[in-house]
Amino acid sequence: MIVKNVKAYYVTRSGPEVKAVDDVSFSIRDGEVFGIVGESGCGKSTLAAVMSLTAGRMLKIKSGEMTLDSHTVALSGPIKVPKDWHGKLVALLPQQSMNSLNPTARMRNFIVDVVRAHHPLMHPDEAVRQARERLEQLALPVRVLDSYPHQLSGGMRQRVVAVISTLLNPKLLIADEPTSALDVSSQRQLIQLIQQLLERGFITRTVYITHDLPMLRNIAHRIAVMYAGKVVEVGTTEEIIEQPTHPYTQALIASTLDLDPQLRGRQIEGISGAPPDLRYPPSGCRFHPRCSRALEICSREEPPILGEEGRLVACWWVQEQSGKGYREVEQ
Amino acid sequence: MQGLLTVYGENMSKFQQYILNKVFWFLFAFLIALIANFILPRLIPGNPVDAIIGQMSSGGGVSGEALEKVYAAYIAEFGLDKPLGEQFLTYIGRIAQGDLGVSFARSPARVQELIAEALPWTIALQLPAILIGWTLGNLLGVLAAYKKGWLDRALFPTFMFTSSMPYYCLSILLLYFLAVYLRIFPAGGGYSYAVSPGFNWTFITSALEHYFLPFVSLVIIFVGGQALGMRAMSIYELDADYVRFSRSLGVGDNRIIFYIFRNAMLPQVTGLALAIGSLVSGALITEIVFGYPGVGTLLFRSIRQSDYPVIQGITLFIMIAVLLANFFVDIAYGYIDPRIRARTAGER
Repeated sequence: MIVKNVKAYYVTRSGPEVKAVDDVSFSIRDGEVFGIVGESGCGKSTLAAVMSLTAGRMLKIKSGEMTLDSHTVALSGPIKVPKDWHGKLVALLPQQSMNSLNPTARMRNFIVDVVRAHHPLMHPDEAVRQARERLEQLALPVRVLDSYPHQLSGGMRQRVVAVISTLLNPKLLIADEPTSALDVSSQRQLIQLIQQLLERGFITRTVYITHDLPMLRNIAHRIAVMYAGKVVEVGTTEEIIEQPTHPYTQALIASTLDLDPQLRGRQIEGISGAPPDLRYPPSGCRFHPRCSRALEICSREEPPILGEEGRLVACWWVQEQSGKGYREVEQ
Repeated sequence: MQGLLTVYGENMSKFQQYILNKVFWFLFAFLIALIANFILPRLIPGNPVDAIIGQMSSGGGVSGEALEKVYAAYIAEFGLDKPLGEQFLTYIGRIAQGDLGVSFARSPARVQELIAEALPWTIALQLPAILIGWTLGNLLGVLAAYKKGWLDRALFPTFMFTSSMPYYCLSILLLYFLAVYLRIFPAGGGYSYAVSPGFNWTFITSALEHYFLPFVSLVIIFVGGQALGMRAMSIYELDADYVRFSRSLGVGDNRIIFYIFRNAMLPQVTGLALAIGSLVSGALITEIVFGYPGVGTLLFRSIRQSDYPVIQGITLFIMIAVLLANFFVDIAYGYIDPRIRARTAGER
């Protein structure tokens, strides 16, 4: 699966657009959990909305293309996404499960609506039967089918939302901070559920969006680090955590709490400054005002993208350290 | 299965407790209202017998001594010479027998007869107006919220205008333009004086002609208020996360509008039930402006004549209807919204 050159700007009533996602490209392999990490306002959720084809009216997609199993769809302009894509090819696991279910509908009724949206001729009982079978396979209680959302605990509700999202076996599940409102044991159960969904082939691949780097370490195979609407570094989870190369990634990891006994005494370093106003992003590299390694060129020109497929970094400073063997790649 | 049944049984008993609790409060409110209903008309300054005697003496020809005798006879007949406590007990006893007493002003007509005469007019005018206004208002409200654009830009200010205009202005304007100036509709009454009530064609057409203006004025007012409420609720619901999530899974527009409609409708149902509850009082101003022979007109006339038994009879009816409507809203709400049902059953 490939996402290419996504530019998505928010239209403001007056003044310039907010460049929330600016020229983002990456590819995701089959069976992979692809993590996207970044601080608040870096454009992760905007990217999720673009990929899940649920962008609101205020979000203008300037360019971009998504290729998913031999289907390619242009994301920009008046999107003519086949109706079937929603839920069947791309599914969203949203941020807040409390509000993502209709409060006055039982799970079984919502499931019938979801399944019948794609199989209009299916008998409602058959849709419920399939959902029951799926719940049994995933070792979740079948009684949730007869429940209203308010009757389920937060963790259970989020797991049920995950099951409903993936009922149609989507090729891509976009999990947008699904655990941010859950306690740690529910977080763990949800992560295990997502892994189970992948193992059983109910979903082909997952984009997992979060600001929680330690959590991502437990689930993601590869990680993309976003800063101010751009991807600054991509690599396997080990590479990003153990050998971060971009100064922002390094700073992000240095500012993360770690329960590892050997590292516990380490001083936590924050990142000085604040994320930029994306209406007026900094010239050149968007991180340069806060970067301890900034060079003179960083404020003038956009950084080159270095490395090879699957291990990329966008940084002038890294290029200067060319002893590390990075070379610029053509995109 | 066994476990499920016991859980269900417990909930049922809790729900029954809840209903029992509501019944208790209903009866308590009823008693308070009954007392207020008895005392309040007696606080109006002036004695009704004085008014009757005044009318008699203004005609002349009756001597002072005779007037005094008539006065005493009336006071005794209506029981006004007895202490207040005894009057109250008599009042309660009669209500229990379904007897609301004799009208002071239109003696010997009994109050229940007067009300029974007026009530069909009021119900026939109001019930269709409320039901049609409610349905139309809610549909237009959802439509304006969902379609946005020119439809919303046209409907929203219109509803704003009709719902905030004082009702008597609207009805008088309608009356002036359509009945007095253009003479399309008759200016007042429930039917033409030339026909007598009965189940025949001339009476029905006459009644319908007189029906139109008060009916339309009520519908206009009701539609505006309902549509504004529904529009605001729907806009709020449209932004809800569940709408976005349902869309992301490809659920069709019609189903989503149904979700929105159902969830936005909850407060509107309360409005409907309460409107039906207060229906009995008659749209006082409507009936006065259009001279409609309903409960409102009867009430207005009785107040002017200090006709206690009729006022009490009507307020008793209003009171029972409003209390019943509130009672049923409490129960019905739980059936419409599972969250409220859960709370009342003590699940959380």
